[in-house]
Amino acid sequence: MICRSAISITISCRRAARAALLGLAVASPAAADEAFVTNQGSGDLTIVDLATMAPAATLPIGGKPAGVAVSTDGARAYVTSPEGKYLSVIDTRARRVLRKIPLEGGPLGLAVAPDGGRVYVADMYEQRLFAVDPESGVVATAKVGVTPSGVAVTPDGKTILVAIRDANKIAFVDAASFEKRGELDVGRHPFGVTIDAKGERAYAANVESDDVSVIDLSTRRVIATVKVGKRPYCVALAQGRGFVTDQYAEAVSVFDLSSFAPVAQVKVGEYPEGIGASRDGKTIYVANWFTNEFWSIAADSLKVIAKAKTGDGPRAFGAFIRAMN
Amino acid sequence: MSFVVARRGFLAGLSLAALASSAALAHGPSRQKVTETIEIAAPAEKIWAIVGNFQDLSWLPPVAKTEATGDNTPDKATRHITLKNGGEIDELLTKYDAKDFTLAYRIEKVDVKILPVNNYSSTITVKPQGDKSVVEWKGAFYRGYPNNDPPPELSDEAGIKAVSDLYKAGLSSLKAKVEGK
Repeated sequence: MICRSAISITISCRRAARAALLGLAVASPAAADEAFVTNQGSGDLTIVDLATMAPAATLPIGGKPAGVAVSTDGARAYVTSPEGKYLSVIDTRARRVLRKIPLEGGPLGLAVAPDGGRVYVADMYEQRLFAVDPESGVVATAKVGVTPSGVAVTPDGKTILVAIRDANKIAFVDAASFEKRGELDVGRHPFGVTIDAKGERAYAANVESDDVSVIDLSTRRVIATVKVGKRPYCVALAQGRGFVTDQYAEAVSVFDLSSFAPVAQVKVGEYPEGIGASRDGKTIYVANWFTNEFWSIAADSLKVIAKAKTGDGPRAFGAFIRAMN
Repeated sequence: MSFVVARRGFLAGLSLAALASSAALAHGPSRQKVTETIEIAAPAEKIWAIVGNFQDLSWLPPVAKTEATGDNTPDKATRHITLKNGGEIDELLTKYDAKDFTLAYRIEKVDVKILPVNNYSSTITVKPQGDKSVVEWKGAFYRGYPNNDPPPELSDEAGIKAVSDLYKAGLSSLKAKVEGK
């Protein structure tokens, strides 16, 4: 079932589609690392088995799902529905929606605290960030700035970064007090924010200035601005490289994390949006919004490995990969 | 005609000045897409001679006048379109590949009264198929209303309908022009 050529991709995807139609899981649930891909147009979630790159299940979500974040332990996935105004709590092992937590405004970007106790959700309309208890709902609200978009939490769980899109800033929210404790100017219209595994740097993709702001988290300063392709959306990190989805360029820009020099631009599907790295750093995954495909790319050779079919309009905005331990 | 539909919807009475000024900054949470195609009994070169000239949009029925600069050079070529209903649209060419008969552009400025969309980008491709061709027109955009709970005139559905109607009308007019019917 591993898609290694154009022919096997077609066969594999067809077989998977047929299995999905019959309600059968292609692989046994929760056996491998998986991707949770939000399909905004079709209003559902495609769970992709990353070992086979085959869709394993589709869960109905509704409300134009966009943002997604999987907990560090892999037990839960959280999905925002900005039009439906709720957060879906998903049991990843059972592949079941446990509950929908109502949220006001337009919940979009989100991140899960490392201990799993809180989900931080940005309301893109009302300038606020919600702290959500996955069992009981909203427990705190912080004012962060106009059109908060991507959200990321430092590995120590102490600081939450929020891209304040229309103010061209990154806001720093203290997790304990749940108050904004600073902000930093970045490029124009930052959207996705990614923090490295050590919690040393953050990377903001600036949609309108076509660049990535590299932020040193100890000094909270921009240490580099890396030019990428048109309309960058999100950043993934692997093997000392940054991988950036360029929506208007139908490409992933690759740059070196030490020298910040460009490495390559990899051609992908149309309007690539969500991007993430496998836990071993060998593979990059990209959701192509217009062409309804989820691609895997080798992080070293930059060759496209496989393509999986998704629902309509895959976004996968957030930490969409569930790594099994 | 799509533009008329969009306009008529607008008479429902909204505070438009505020919308127009915020449109450049904000957009809704869910980008929409439209793809329309048409088969034309002509070689791709003949169709490309018309749609491949970014400087002249006269083949599109609602267009009264195209004022353009920058030839067909991506990120330089712009056009200011005046519609027969008086509406105006500014567009920028973003990709141009004559070998593969494809170009992409985006709307830099339009009033949602004219076309109820924001952050609109579009691609036109002519695909040779034997002695015929298929023209594909694709658009990606956000609805006209930048905030939550849009009025029907500026909803996702209204944006999709306006763009889809425009593409259908444009492609059938192009077919008639090329096939000489």
